[in-house]
Amino acid sequence: LKTAFSEPNMAAAMELRCWGGDWGLPSVHSESLIVQAYAKFSGAKVKVVPIDWTWKTLTATVPELLCGDSAVQEPTNILNYLRKQRFNADYELTARQGADTMAYIALLEEKLRPALLHTFWVDAENYANLTRPWFASRSPFPLNFLVPSHHANTALSRILLTKGEASLHGITEVEGKIYSDAKECLNLLSYRLGTANYFFGNLPTSLDAFVFGFVAPIYKASLPSSPLQSHLRQLDNLTSFCDNILAVYFTHTMTNTISPPPPVQETMDANLQKLTQLVNKESNLIEKMDDNLRSSPQHKPHRPDPKPSLASEQSSTPA
Amino acid sequence: MTLVAEAFVSQMAAAEPWPESATLYQPLKEDQILLSDCASSLAVQAYLRMCGLPVQVVCRANAEYMSPSGKIPFIHVGNQVVSELGPIVQFTKAKGNSLSDGLDDIQRAEMKAYMELVNNMLLTAELYIQWCDDATAAEISRPRYSSPYSWPLSNILAYQKQWEVRRKMNAVGWGGKTLEQVYEDVNQCCQALSQRLGTQPYFFNKQPTELDALVFGHLFTILTTRLTSTELAERIKSYSNLLSFCRRIEQTYFEDKSS
Repeated sequence: LKTAFSEPNMAAAMELRCWGGDWGLPSVHSESLIVQAYAKFSGAKVKVVPIDWTWKTLTATVPELLCGDSAVQEPTNILNYLRKQRFNADYELTARQGADTMAYIALLEEKLRPALLHTFWVDAENYANLTRPWFASRSPFPLNFLVPSHHANTALSRILLTKGEASLHGITEVEGKIYSDAKECLNLLSYRLGTANYFFGNLPTSLDAFVFGFVAPIYKASLPSSPLQSHLRQLDNLTSFCDNILAVYFTHTMTNTISPPPPVQETMDANLQKLTQLVNKESNLIEKMDDNLRSSPQHKPHRPDPKPSLASEQSSTPA
Repeated sequence: MTLVAEAFVSQMAAAEPWPESATLYQPLKEDQILLSDCASSLAVQAYLRMCGLPVQVVCRANAEYMSPSGKIPFIHVGNQVVSELGPIVQFTKAKGNSLSDGLDDIQRAEMKAYMELVNNMLLTAELYIQWCDDATAAEISRPRYSSPYSWPLSNILAYQKQWEVRRKMNAVGWGGKTLEQVYEDVNQCCQALSQRLGTQPYFFNKQPTELDALVFGHLFTILTTRLTSTELAERIKSYSNLLSFCRRIEQTYFEDKSS
């Protein structure tokens, strides 16, 4: 995945494949957010292409930066690539601050990522009511059956492999630990940020991009049950940090997140589209009912609120 | 440990002082222990010495299986068993011994971040080199890991451990890395540590903290362990302040031990 820089042509169009946005964010996916934020901070002109409603929801590794012949994956590699193209948001950092950046990014990966994955993909209520419907509704038929569960399995195995203490332990043993680690991590970030706008001085750097990418989804997503979100909402400086970045760097792109899907949809047969929507709706409802039946007695089964899903289906209808 | 169990252990820990008979368990030093386990064990030993808490090091072939979390090392204090540096630091804190009390919140945040950097980069790199690099795995890791056992158990255990570690590497995204990339990551990690240390004696100036113990454990072990290639040690040797840091801690806290 090391890229070959064919020519130092900064005008070469760069395309970034990401998951689409919602809940007031340009993307719901942490890694995609990190890269988009860094591109904004460093002034890189990157065309963001959402993979929603395409077959890339299953086949592509997201985020992915395409420039000419080269394709770069993973946030760290993409940020390195942008830096080499002289889109560097970190050039004013001292060596010591660069070292701090590496350390805090490691802290995010080790202490916050497991809880982030758990909140969205493993917690039964969040997964059934928010994550799976969102990802299923943005995947074309029949991928809507495969994409969410594929990501959920990957998330679960990652948590168990890195945080599970013995191979026989299930997820419940590690849940308490990963959430307390995550809360501590958020506290540490809050101490470090203090009253400043960004982590190093007056301009955002790659560390700000990483923190934004990890924290913003927890902050903004409409999670039915999240002690982590409640904890985060008490840390005013972190929430202001996210709001500030959204206001300063993402206001003009926010209107795009609720726009209709890309033009490729218009070529689909209208009847086929209606059929797809009906099947999606049916499968979502069936899965929700199934989950509600299986979940514990405390989770009172309730009809999912029809408004959000209908609204999202309606927004996917081309004019 | 669950949160309730942890709180319970802390409370019990606070009740008794540190006994003379505390022991630290690790795999057999000469034949069995591997680089990553040796590094973790040395980090804990350094930390306990820095706190002034006496502990006896006992080598057992089945130390990994005795450990409550499956990780090395673990300490047996009174009637409690605690494994890994993080929980051990909390345990000693409950008994009133802490090296990081003098730090303010921002410094503590920095300390924890740098400890995670070592865990995320150095420890993962050590595991990668031991188990994902075929040459090292075949020549050093598998023979050493399975040395206390006879055939066919030795083969089964060695390959099982290798499979487990490779799965973990794939899960964290290191599966696709080449050895060169891993060496480069180690280099960057050491560069960051070297920058942070600067010309100070310890990471937080005059007093050592658990971060110093952790960094010492890993760097010293890498420098003194023979692998299939010396490239890893060479990368560290290029940072002179890290070398003198290791020497300083070795002389201050381990002078009775012949390295």
